[in-house]
Amino acid sequence: MHAGRIKDIFLKEIAVEFRQKYALGGIVLFTSALVYLIYKVFNNLTGLEWSVMLWVITLFAGLQATVKSFMQERKETYFYYYTIFDPNDLLLAKWLYNFVMIVLLFGLTLLFMSIFMGMPVKDYMLFAKGSMLGLAGLSTVFTFVSLIAASEHSSSTLMSVLAIPLVLPIMLLMLKITTVSARLIQDTSVDQDILLLVGINAIFLGSIFLLFPVLWRA
Amino acid sequence: MTNKSSILINGIWWKASGIIIFLYVLIGGMLVPLGPGVTAITPSNAVAGDTVVLEISGYNTHFTDAQNCNAWLKLDSNHLIKAYSIRSLSQKKLKAAFVLPDSFPSVAQVYTLSLVLDNEFDGVFIQPAALFVSAKTVISDALSGEWKNNFDIVFHERQGIFFPYRSILNETIRNTFFHVALWFAMFILLLIGVVYAIKYLRKGNYDDDIISSSFTAVAVMYGVLGILTGSVWAKFTWNTFWTNDVKLNMTAVALLIYLAYFVLRGMHQDQDRRAKFSAGFSIFAFTALIPLVFVIPRLTDSLHPGNGGNPALGGEDLDNTLRMFFYPSIIALTIMGLWMSQLMIRAMRIKDNILTR
Repeated sequence: MHAGRIKDIFLKEIAVEFRQKYALGGIVLFTSALVYLIYKVFNNLTGLEWSVMLWVITLFAGLQATVKSFMQERKETYFYYYTIFDPNDLLLAKWLYNFVMIVLLFGLTLLFMSIFMGMPVKDYMLFAKGSMLGLAGLSTVFTFVSLIAASEHSSSTLMSVLAIPLVLPIMLLMLKITTVSARLIQDTSVDQDILLLVGINAIFLGSIFLLFPVLWRA
Repeated sequence: MTNKSSILINGIWWKASGIIIFLYVLIGGMLVPLGPGVTAITPSNAVAGDTVVLEISGYNTHFTDAQNCNAWLKLDSNHLIKAYSIRSLSQKKLKAAFVLPDSFPSVAQVYTLSLVLDNEFDGVFIQPAALFVSAKTVISDALSGEWKNNFDIVFHERQGIFFPYRSILNETIRNTFFHVALWFAMFILLLIGVVYAIKYLRKGNYDDDIISSSFTAVAVMYGVLGILTGSVWAKFTWNTFWTNDVKLNMTAVALLIYLAYFVLRGMHQDQDRRAKFSAGFSIFAFTALIPLVFVIPRLTDSLHPGNGGNPALGGEDLDNTLRMFFYPSIIALTIMGLWMSQLMIRAMRIKDNILTR
């Protein structure tokens, strides 16, 4: 692990992203169009529908944004990385980058949704805490799955097939935390859900750090 | 490059023993009778001081054959009321008359009494919460009036082997040998699959990938069978094929993850990369399975034993007669799973030999 290298790769990812502005713009447009579509379809959302929609949009926008994390560069570039980087550095930088991307998309979705459909969340602290943990979990799963899917032609299909069942427990917990923070249901054991989210994140992160050095050689 | 691991166990003895054990479970599990139980009691409530005649419908009982039928209403182990007259209408119908005392030994609005039945054919059996009695007056002096303690009562013991009668479960208690045992066997097979996936990632021996994927395939088949047997069981006990129960839904997610594993395997053309990525994914899927199946259902409410405060396997749910078939069933299903995986391993090795020649 080398903090300087992680920072370098992270900055490089951002530079690459901003060089191809159409990709970034595409995802932003995708998100805002989806929010607007949902707004016009429902017209009036209840708090529960709002929470469900927030997480479904975040899930699909996140999938779109992270599917290419191991596909943007040519094969030769990866051979070059392989010779100079510790795989864990690369993984951590990619994970961090995906996390930042997903958080930005989530913030954007939240902004659009609160403009069009209001903001039912009452307990902001709980919502922020739960969301950050959940998004960290999403970015872990997406980073791992995009690595597995990267070698295939129809990778975005494969990515959704592989990622959606894996993120389901995280999504369910997130939905519960969101509904609790919107005071739609009373739950005194919400701290237990937060702990569970931390536990799932730890398991997922631990296993991808163990698996990545072996897998990315392929 | 591909060294054959010695996972294949030669000989017919273990396959034969698997089949024999499974036949034992199938025949014994289906033929051993259920113990006696009570299906209905009318009336279900009374007022203290009344004389009540309870009409009791039994299941697998021998009321007419028995000479010494006895019935008690029980508040706790120190407070019982004996029936003053008992008349059996048929093998499964019994009328028992009780004089309820005016006074009860503790303070409550309503007392819940259990019914204890005893005869020399069926032995002693208990129906909890059989009669609700509304109180009149309360005294603290125990053993006055009609109350007796049970220290001098000699109960009969039923002879022979039988499965415990549980209300709601009834005869479907036999599904324990198939539904629950399938999940146990599935986990054993999945564990072997994951061990070989790790082995593949460490050594890169292609044969380990064949073994890992075969075990996972058979385990997933067991998982599907486990869901099907559970679904049928749910229809008879919870009156629906599928409920909103966490354990069901988390298991469905786990199966989706494993079906995605086969999609992943099917999509890759290149043998080496397919092996590497599917091994990685199966390890990840197994780690995802642990919170899904073992942690989340235990924290939330579930209808399954062992979840949401319900007692786990063991205690009253799994008595020694059930154990006589439950553990052999796990062993037999595991052996048959090993056998099926071996057939798959052999077939895939032959295919691999032809392709790489």
